[in-house]
Amino acid sequence: MTLHIVSRSPFSSNALADCIGTFSDGDALLLIEDGTYAASGFMPENIAVGPVYCLKTDADARGLQVPETFQAIDDARWVSLCVEHKPIVSWFK
Amino acid sequence: MMTTNTLALCRQAPYGDALAREGLEAILAAAAMDQAPAVLFLRDGVFQLLPEQAPSAIGQKSLLRNLQALPMFGIETIHVCERSLLERGIDAKQLAIAGAEIELVADTGGFIAGFDSVLSF
Amino acid sequence: MKFSLVIYGAPHASESAATALRFARTLLAQGHQLYRVFFYGDGVHNGSALSAPPQDETDTVGDWQALQREHGLDLVVCIAAAQRRGLLSDSEARRLEKPAANLADGFELAGLGQLADASANSDRVVTFG
Repeated sequence: MTLHIVSRSPFSSNALADCIGTFSDGDALLLIEDGTYAASGFMPENIAVGPVYCLKTDADARGLQVPETFQAIDDARWVSLCVEHKPIVSWFK
Repeated sequence: MMTTNTLALCRQAPYGDALAREGLEAILAAAAMDQAPAVLFLRDGVFQLLPEQAPSAIGQKSLLRNLQALPMFGIETIHVCERSLLERGIDAKQLAIAGAEIELVADTGGFIAGFDSVLSF
Repeated sequence: MKFSLVIYGAPHASESAATALRFARTLLAQGHQLYRVFFYGDGVHNGSALSAPPQDETDTVGDWQALQREHGLDLVVCIAAAQRRGLLSDSEARRLEKPAANLADGFELAGLGQLADASANSDRVVTFG
Protein backbone atom coordinates (compact mmCIF):
# COMPACT_ATOMS: atom_id res chain seq x y z
CA MET A 1 0.00 0.00 0.00
CA THR A 2 1.38 3.34 -1.10
CA LEU A 3 2.30 6.22 1.19
CA HIS A 4 1.75 9.49 -0.68
CA ILE A 5 3.71 12.47 0.65
CA VAL A 6 2.49 15.91 -0.43
CA SER A 7 4.72 18.92 0.26
CA ARG A 8 3.02 21.75 -1.66
CA SER A 9 0.08 23.97 -0.79
CA PRO A 10 -3.16 22.82 -2.45
CA PHE A 11 -3.91 26.51 -3.12
CA SER A 12 -0.90 26.98 -5.41
CA SER A 13 0.01 23.54 -6.74
CA ASN A 14 -1.70 20.51 -8.23
CA ALA A 15 0.41 18.19 -6.07
CA LEU A 16 -2.46 17.25 -3.75
CA ALA A 17 -5.00 16.93 -6.58
CA ASP A 18 -2.57 14.82 -8.63
CA CYS A 19 -1.91 12.64 -5.62
CA ILE A 20 -5.59 12.12 -4.91
CA GLY A 21 -6.08 11.26 -8.58
CA THR A 22 -3.81 8.24 -8.13
CA PHE A 23 -5.05 7.18 -4.71
CA SER A 24 -5.92 3.51 -4.22
CA ASP A 25 -7.81 1.76 -1.45
CA GLY A 26 -5.53 1.22 1.52
CA ASP A 27 -3.14 4.03 0.56
CA ALA A 28 -2.23 6.69 3.09
CA LEU A 29 -1.65 10.43 2.64
CA LEU A 30 0.92 12.44 4.56
CA LEU A 31 1.02 16.24 4.42
CA ILE A 32 4.40 17.86 5.05
CA GLU A 33 5.94 21.32 4.57
CA ASP A 34 3.54 23.54 2.58
CA GLY A 35 1.34 20.49 2.05
CA THR A 36 0.07 21.14 5.59
CA TYR A 37 -1.83 24.19 4.26
CA ALA A 38 -4.47 21.64 3.24
CA ALA A 39 -5.47 21.97 6.90
CA SER A 40 -6.59 25.52 6.19
CA GLY A 41 -9.94 26.66 4.81
CA PHE A 42 -12.23 24.30 3.00
CA MET A 43 -9.67 21.66 2.11
CA PRO A 44 -10.05 19.04 4.86
CA GLU A 45 -13.61 18.11 3.84
CA ASN A 46 -12.49 17.88 0.22
CA ILE A 47 -9.88 15.25 0.88
CA ALA A 48 -12.11 12.23 0.48
CA VAL A 49 -9.34 9.72 1.08
CA GLY A 50 -8.07 8.18 4.24
CA PRO A 51 -6.14 8.04 6.39
CA VAL A 52 -4.66 11.55 6.25
CA TYR A 53 -1.58 12.24 8.36
CA CYS A 54 -0.14 15.69 8.91
CA LEU A 55 3.36 16.46 10.19
CA LYS A 56 2.62 18.48 13.31
CA THR A 57 6.00 20.25 13.37
CA ASP A 58 5.37 21.62 9.89
CA ALA A 59 1.77 22.65 10.67
CA ASP A 60 2.86 24.30 13.95
CA ALA A 61 5.64 26.16 12.15
CA ARG A 62 2.98 27.74 9.94
CA GLY A 63 0.52 28.57 12.69
CA LEU A 64 -1.97 25.97 11.47
CA GLN A 65 -4.42 23.99 13.57
CA VAL A 66 -4.50 20.35 12.47
CA PRO A 67 -8.19 19.45 12.01
CA GLU A 68 -9.60 16.40 13.76
CA THR A 69 -10.08 14.66 10.43
CA PHE A 70 -6.25 14.54 10.10
CA GLN A 71 -3.91 12.62 12.35
CA ALA A 72 -1.16 14.92 13.63
CA ILE A 73 2.11 12.97 13.76
CA ASP A 74 5.76 13.54 14.68
CA ASP A 75 8.90 12.63 12.69
CA ALA A 76 9.23 9.26 14.47
CA ARG A 77 5.74 8.26 13.36
CA TRP A 78 6.62 9.43 9.85
CA VAL A 79 9.52 6.98 9.74
CA SER A 80 7.28 4.19 10.97
CA LEU A 81 4.67 5.05 8.32
CA CYS A 82 7.45 4.62 5.75
CA VAL A 83 8.27 1.23 7.25
CA GLU A 84 4.61 0.19 7.13
CA HIS A 85 3.98 1.30 3.53
CA LYS A 86 5.54 0.73 0.15
CA PRO A 87 6.10 2.22 -2.27
CA ILE A 88 6.51 5.81 -1.09
CA VAL A 89 5.55 8.48 -3.63
CA SER A 90 6.42 12.14 -3.12
CA TRP A 91 4.34 14.87 -4.74
CA PHE A 92 6.41 18.04 -4.68
CA LYS A 93 5.50 20.16 -7.73
CA MET B 1 22.18 -8.59 -3.36
CA MET B 2 18.56 -7.55 -3.07
CA THR B 3 16.83 -6.11 -6.08
CA THR B 4 13.67 -4.12 -5.79
CA ASN B 5 11.12 -3.53 -8.42
CA THR B 6 11.35 0.17 -9.28
CA LEU B 7 8.99 2.55 -11.06
CA ALA B 8 10.13 5.86 -12.51
CA LEU B 9 7.26 8.33 -12.38
CA CYS B 10 7.74 11.15 -14.92
CA ARG B 11 5.47 14.07 -14.07
CA GLN B 12 7.16 17.19 -15.46
CA ALA B 13 6.69 18.80 -18.84
CA PRO B 14 9.89 18.99 -20.87
CA TYR B 15 12.08 22.14 -21.09
CA GLY B 16 10.40 24.27 -18.41
CA ASP B 17 11.78 22.12 -15.61
CA ALA B 18 15.17 20.39 -15.63
CA LEU B 19 13.68 17.43 -13.79
CA ALA B 20 12.12 16.11 -17.01
CA ARG B 21 15.54 15.78 -18.67
CA GLU B 22 17.34 14.70 -15.52
CA GLY B 23 14.65 12.09 -14.89
CA LEU B 24 15.14 10.53 -18.32
CA GLU B 25 18.91 10.59 -17.80
CA ALA B 26 18.48 8.76 -14.50
CA ILE B 27 16.23 6.16 -16.17
CA LEU B 28 18.73 5.59 -18.98
CA ALA B 29 21.60 5.30 -16.50
CA ALA B 30 19.71 2.68 -14.50
CA ALA B 31 18.81 0.79 -17.67
CA ALA B 32 22.44 0.85 -18.78
CA MET B 33 23.24 -0.96 -15.49
CA ASP B 34 20.64 -3.64 -16.26
CA GLN B 35 18.34 -2.15 -13.63
CA ALA B 36 15.79 -0.74 -16.03
CA PRO B 37 12.82 0.65 -14.10
CA ALA B 38 9.27 0.57 -15.37
CA VAL B 39 8.35 4.04 -16.64
CA LEU B 40 5.02 5.83 -16.21
CA PHE B 41 4.28 9.24 -17.70
CA LEU B 42 1.70 11.03 -15.64
CA ARG B 43 0.09 14.51 -15.50
CA ASP B 44 2.25 17.10 -17.36
CA GLY B 45 4.85 14.36 -17.91
CA VAL B 46 2.77 13.19 -20.88
CA PHE B 47 3.81 16.38 -22.69
CA GLN B 48 7.29 14.81 -22.96
CA LEU B 49 5.81 12.38 -25.47
CA LEU B 50 4.43 14.91 -27.96
CA PRO B 51 5.92 14.41 -31.43
CA GLU B 52 7.58 17.22 -33.39
CA GLN B 53 9.26 18.98 -30.48
CA ALA B 54 11.69 21.56 -31.88
CA PRO B 55 13.47 23.16 -28.90
CA SER B 56 16.71 24.22 -30.62
CA ALA B 57 15.51 27.84 -30.85
CA ILE B 58 15.09 27.94 -27.06
CA GLY B 59 18.61 26.63 -26.61
CA GLN B 60 17.71 23.10 -25.59
CA LYS B 61 18.35 19.63 -26.92
CA SER B 62 15.26 17.63 -27.86
CA LEU B 63 14.14 15.36 -25.08
CA LEU B 64 12.67 13.03 -27.68
CA ARG B 65 16.16 11.75 -28.38
CA ASN B 66 16.44 10.55 -24.79
CA LEU B 67 13.00 8.95 -25.06
CA GLN B 68 13.94 7.21 -28.28
CA ALA B 69 16.95 5.71 -26.50
CA LEU B 70 14.72 3.94 -23.95
CA PRO B 71 14.01 0.85 -26.13
CA MET B 72 17.71 0.58 -26.99
CA PHE B 73 18.35 0.15 -23.27
CA GLY B 74 15.67 -2.49 -22.87
CA ILE B 75 12.71 -0.31 -21.89
CA GLU B 76 10.28 -1.49 -24.54
CA THR B 77 7.01 -0.61 -22.83
CA ILE B 78 6.20 2.99 -22.00
CA HIS B 79 3.27 3.36 -19.63
CA VAL B 80 1.14 6.47 -20.01
CA CYS B 81 -1.71 7.66 -17.80
CA GLU B 82 -4.84 7.61 -19.92
CA ARG B 83 -6.65 10.30 -17.94
CA SER B 84 -3.68 12.69 -18.13
CA LEU B 85 -3.82 12.44 -21.94
CA LEU B 86 -7.56 12.99 -21.96
CA GLU B 87 -7.36 16.05 -19.69
CA ARG B 88 -4.74 17.60 -21.97
CA GLY B 89 -6.54 16.86 -25.22
CA ILE B 90 -3.83 14.50 -26.45
CA ASP B 91 -4.82 11.60 -28.68
CA ALA B 92 -2.81 8.50 -27.76
CA LYS B 93 -2.53 7.73 -31.47
CA GLN B 94 -0.32 10.83 -31.85
CA LEU B 95 2.30 9.27 -29.62
CA ALA B 96 4.92 6.94 -31.01
CA ILE B 97 8.39 5.97 -29.83
CA ALA B 98 10.15 3.71 -32.36
CA GLY B 99 10.79 0.30 -30.85
CA ALA B 100 8.58 0.89 -27.85
CA GLU B 101 4.99 0.04 -27.15
CA ILE B 102 2.81 2.71 -25.55
CA GLU B 103 0.59 1.15 -22.92
CA LEU B 104 -2.24 3.24 -21.52
CA VAL B 105 -2.88 2.90 -17.80
CA ALA B 106 -6.37 3.63 -16.49
CA ASP B 107 -5.83 2.72 -12.82
CA THR B 108 -2.61 4.57 -12.03
CA GLY B 109 -3.02 4.04 -8.29
CA GLY B 110 -3.24 0.28 -8.68
CA PHE B 111 -0.33 0.33 -11.10
CA ILE B 112 1.92 2.32 -8.73
CA ALA B 113 1.00 0.07 -5.81
CA GLY B 114 2.59 -2.88 -7.63
CA PHE B 115 6.12 -1.51 -7.13
CA ASP B 116 8.52 -1.67 -4.19
CA SER B 117 10.11 1.65 -4.93
CA VAL B 118 9.12 4.78 -6.85
CA LEU B 119 11.53 7.41 -8.14
CA SER B 120 9.64 10.65 -8.81
CA PHE B 121 10.86 12.93 -11.57
CA MET C 1 15.25 -1.40 7.50
CA LYS C 2 17.50 0.07 4.80
CA PHE C 3 16.51 3.54 3.55
CA SER C 4 17.85 5.74 0.79
CA LEU C 5 16.91 9.38 0.36
CA VAL C 6 16.88 11.36 -2.88
CA ILE C 7 17.07 15.14 -2.54
CA TYR C 8 16.19 17.66 -5.24
CA GLY C 9 16.03 20.86 -3.22
CA ALA C 10 18.89 23.34 -2.76
CA PRO C 11 19.48 24.29 0.88
CA HIS C 12 18.24 27.75 1.87
CA ALA C 13 16.10 27.80 -1.31
CA SER C 14 13.65 25.02 -0.56
CA GLU C 15 12.65 23.38 2.69
CA SER C 16 13.22 19.87 1.37
CA ALA C 17 16.86 19.46 2.40
CA ALA C 18 16.11 20.52 5.97
CA THR C 19 13.14 18.15 6.09
CA ALA C 20 15.30 15.34 4.72
CA LEU C 21 17.90 15.99 7.44
CA ARG C 22 15.23 15.70 10.13
CA PHE C 23 13.96 12.49 8.55
CA ALA C 24 17.49 11.07 8.29
CA ARG C 25 18.26 11.83 11.95
CA THR C 26 14.98 10.26 13.05
CA LEU C 27 15.39 7.04 11.09
CA LEU C 28 18.98 6.64 12.31
CA ALA C 29 17.83 7.24 15.91
CA GLN C 30 15.33 4.41 15.44
CA GLY C 31 18.13 2.05 14.45
CA HIS C 32 17.36 1.93 10.73
CA GLN C 33 20.16 2.07 8.17
CA LEU C 34 20.70 4.90 5.75
CA TYR C 35 22.18 3.20 2.69
CA ARG C 36 22.71 6.37 0.69
CA VAL C 37 21.66 10.00 0.32
CA PHE C 38 21.63 10.95 -3.34
CA PHE C 39 21.64 14.65 -4.24
CA TYR C 40 20.17 15.37 -7.65
CA GLY C 41 18.97 18.41 -9.58
CA ASP C 42 19.31 21.56 -7.48
CA GLY C 43 19.92 19.26 -4.51
CA VAL C 44 23.60 19.16 -5.53
CA HIS C 45 24.03 22.54 -3.79
CA ASN C 46 23.77 20.69 -0.46
CA GLY C 47 27.36 19.67 -1.16
CA SER C 48 28.76 23.17 -1.59
CA ALA C 49 31.74 23.95 0.63
CA LEU C 50 31.15 27.64 -0.13
CA SER C 51 27.74 27.88 1.51
CA ALA C 52 28.03 30.50 4.25
CA PRO C 53 24.69 31.19 5.92
CA PRO C 54 24.45 33.81 8.71
CA GLN C 55 25.37 32.40 12.13
CA ASP C 56 21.83 32.51 13.47
CA GLU C 57 20.53 30.37 10.60
CA THR C 58 20.70 26.63 10.10
CA ASP C 59 23.89 25.49 8.36
CA THR C 60 22.46 22.72 6.19
CA VAL C 61 25.76 21.75 4.57
CA GLY C 62 27.44 21.61 7.98
CA ASP C 63 24.56 19.55 9.36
CA TRP C 64 24.95 16.96 6.59
CA GLN C 65 28.69 16.84 7.25
CA ALA C 66 28.15 16.31 10.97
CA LEU C 67 25.64 13.51 10.33
CA GLN C 68 28.05 11.97 7.82
CA ARG C 69 30.91 11.95 10.34
CA GLU C 70 28.72 10.53 13.06
CA HIS C 71 27.21 7.70 11.02
CA GLY C 72 29.66 7.23 8.13
CA LEU C 73 26.93 8.14 5.65
CA ASP C 74 27.29 7.76 1.91
CA LEU C 75 26.44 11.28 0.66
CA VAL C 76 26.54 11.12 -3.12
CA VAL C 77 26.21 14.18 -5.34
CA CYS C 78 25.29 13.40 -8.95
CA ILE C 79 28.29 14.38 -11.02
CA ALA C 80 26.34 15.33 -14.17
CA ALA C 81 23.87 17.54 -12.27
CA ALA C 82 26.76 19.03 -10.25
CA GLN C 83 28.86 19.97 -13.27
CA ARG C 84 25.93 21.80 -14.85
CA ARG C 85 25.33 23.78 -11.66
CA GLY C 86 28.94 24.57 -10.80
CA LEU C 87 29.76 22.09 -8.06
CA LEU C 88 33.16 20.52 -8.66
CA SER C 89 35.65 18.36 -6.81
CA ASP C 90 39.38 19.16 -7.02
CA SER C 91 39.96 16.57 -9.72
CA GLU C 92 36.91 17.67 -11.72
CA ALA C 93 37.93 21.33 -11.51
CA ARG C 94 41.37 20.43 -12.84
CA ARG C 95 40.01 18.18 -15.56
CA LEU C 96 37.50 20.79 -16.73
CA GLU C 97 40.04 23.63 -16.31
CA LYS C 98 37.83 25.59 -13.91
CA PRO C 99 39.36 28.10 -11.47
CA ALA C 100 38.10 26.52 -8.23
CA ALA C 101 36.66 23.44 -6.62
CA ASN C 102 33.85 23.58 -4.06
CA LEU C 103 32.75 20.06 -3.12
CA ALA C 104 32.44 19.93 0.67
CA ASP C 105 34.23 17.27 2.72
CA GLY C 106 32.06 14.27 3.43
CA PHE C 107 30.34 14.36 0.04
CA GLU C 108 31.44 12.50 -3.07
CA LEU C 109 30.69 13.01 -6.73
CA ALA C 110 29.46 9.92 -8.56
CA GLY C 111 27.35 8.92 -11.52
CA LEU C 112 23.64 8.25 -11.79
CA GLY C 113 24.33 4.54 -11.44
CA GLN C 114 24.50 5.23 -7.70
CA LEU C 115 20.82 6.21 -7.73
CA ALA C 116 19.84 2.98 -9.51
CA ASP C 117 22.02 1.06 -7.06
CA ALA C 118 20.39 2.81 -4.09
CA SER C 119 16.93 1.95 -5.37
CA ALA C 120 17.90 -1.67 -6.01
CA ASN C 121 19.50 -2.12 -2.59
CA SER C 122 17.19 -0.22 -0.24
CA ASP C 123 13.95 -1.35 1.33
CA ARG C 124 12.58 2.19 1.05
CA VAL C 125 13.46 5.19 -1.11
CA VAL C 126 12.05 8.56 -0.08
CA THR C 127 12.24 11.56 -2.41
CA PHE C 128 12.48 15.09 -1.01
CA GLY C 129 11.53 17.49 -3.81
